[in-house]
Amino acid sequence: MTEGQVLGPPPIQVRGLRKVFRQATSGQAVVAIDRLDLSIAPREVVAIVGQTGCGKSTFFDMMIGLEAPTEGTLRIGDKSPHSDFDFFRGRIATVFQQDRLLPWRSALDNARLPLELIGVAEDEQRKRAMAWLERLGLGNFVNAYPHELSGGMRQRVAIARAFAVQPDILLADEAFGHLDEVTAAELRETFLALARECGSTAILITHQLEEAIGVGDRIVVFGKSAKLLADIHVKKWPKAKHAQLREAIQATLQSNKPDPRLHDPRGKPKRGKTKR
Amino acid sequence: MSLEEHRESVPVLNFPRQTFVSLLVFAVCWETLSHLAPYLGIPPFAIPSFVKIARSIADITPIDIVVTLARVIAALIASFVLGVAAAMAMYRSETLDNYLHPMIRILMAVPVVSWILFAVLWFPGVEFRIGFVLVVVCGPVFLVDALDAMRGVPRELRQMMRSFRPTTLQYFRKLILPAIVPTIFTSWKVNISLAIRVVTIAELVGAVTGIGHQLSVAQELFSVSDVFAWTIVLVALLFLLEALVARVEARLLRWRT
Repeated sequence: MTEGQVLGPPPIQVRGLRKVFRQATSGQAVVAIDRLDLSIAPREVVAIVGQTGCGKSTFFDMMIGLEAPTEGTLRIGDKSPHSDFDFFRGRIATVFQQDRLLPWRSALDNARLPLELIGVAEDEQRKRAMAWLERLGLGNFVNAYPHELSGGMRQRVAIARAFAVQPDILLADEAFGHLDEVTAAELRETFLALARECGSTAILITHQLEEAIGVGDRIVVFGKSAKLLADIHVKKWPKAKHAQLREAIQATLQSNKPDPRLHDPRGKPKRGKTKR
Repeated sequence: MSLEEHRESVPVLNFPRQTFVSLLVFAVCWETLSHLAPYLGIPPFAIPSFVKIARSIADITPIDIVVTLARVIAALIASFVLGVAAAMAMYRSETLDNYLHPMIRILMAVPVVSWILFAVLWFPGVEFRIGFVLVVVCGPVFLVDALDAMRGVPRELRQMMRSFRPTTLQYFRKLILPAIVPTIFTSWKVNISLAIRVVTIAELVGAVTGIGHQLSVAQELFSVSDVFAWTIVLVALLFLLEALVARVEARLLRWRT
């Protein structure tokens, strides 16, 4: 367990975050994120949805610390994942769209990779990685190489790899989108249960609204240049209204404006005034 | 058997038989020519019979084989270490890459004979001369291959690795170096063949031991059978080293099968 977890994961504060890229060929500036403000409480599970090219992946890279903000701040506790890069070793873990396993390593060796990087003793690495693989139903495949496993199994190894360090912050970028529906639903459930059990803050980037509604405590809807279109607390929406919520998010994404229905989770859908 | 399995199995099954047949035909032609040489106006020493070649093989001095082999292996190891180390430095530093890349291209364009002459003119010690020539020829091949392979590591894997925040050393040890192993083996195979040819020329010019030197002696004695015998040894050495590399490769890259 990391030091951070003894105290609980730190809150995430994003203030006036801006990221501008310059195109290599034309030199033209592209605003990927434009003055984003966002707060994420410890242990929250937040799903970020948005259309392709809205800045979700840039935000993901900035959360990992691979990209520096052009303006504004992104802080986890009192530290920046970019400026204090090494501080977050073993504290942030990621699950990507593809499993991104190292093909020359067995499932066990892939799962213990982050433990190697933080200097855990080899016996302990194996013990912990084995335990996670067994929890994810891969106890009989620990010595299999990635090409010997199915897509779902490989993604389980990637999840085991992320959880192996019991991180404070878990990031998942379209982690289940490429799997068949049954496998994806199963893995989502497992991921969520493990994240809650570990007490990690989890941020899932997805374009699937069902996934966002099913998994997130909150759903953050990004418009163009990561403009915050909606910040929805899912618990305020009764299950019976989830279909309405999905439609409202869909409308928000299509119009790039917050849909009025998102402000009134328990009431009836608003109608226009009738003339008497 | 699937079509792919069949396709793979055909050359493997036929290769030894085809090789045997082609070698047999060559041997019969050679032996016939060696007997017919006096009648065809060819000097008798030019095409020795197999009996004579066998006698030359029996007279081969193992120490010369050991010396040449030691030179080749030592130089290949030095070239490999220097080449990969330079590739790692160039991979890390774009500035260094910009400065060194043109030099590497020039080094690779210089003919082997020029390097041998430079070595003879610059260095007094025979071993250093040969080592220098081998390293300066084989090192850049390792460097260029390793650098290309490092740059070819998929972006997805690099991003995944960086997301776990490795140190620079861990980044190379856990990702970059294992990822370039398949290319490195190909590079070794190319360099073994290159080193065998270069060491022979270098020994031919400036050494008093080794297979190249023995070839020089055989030439002075007009002994084609000795040249033939030493050439067979060189080819056998090449095959032996390649087989060793292939064995290590199969072991280290078993994850691919």
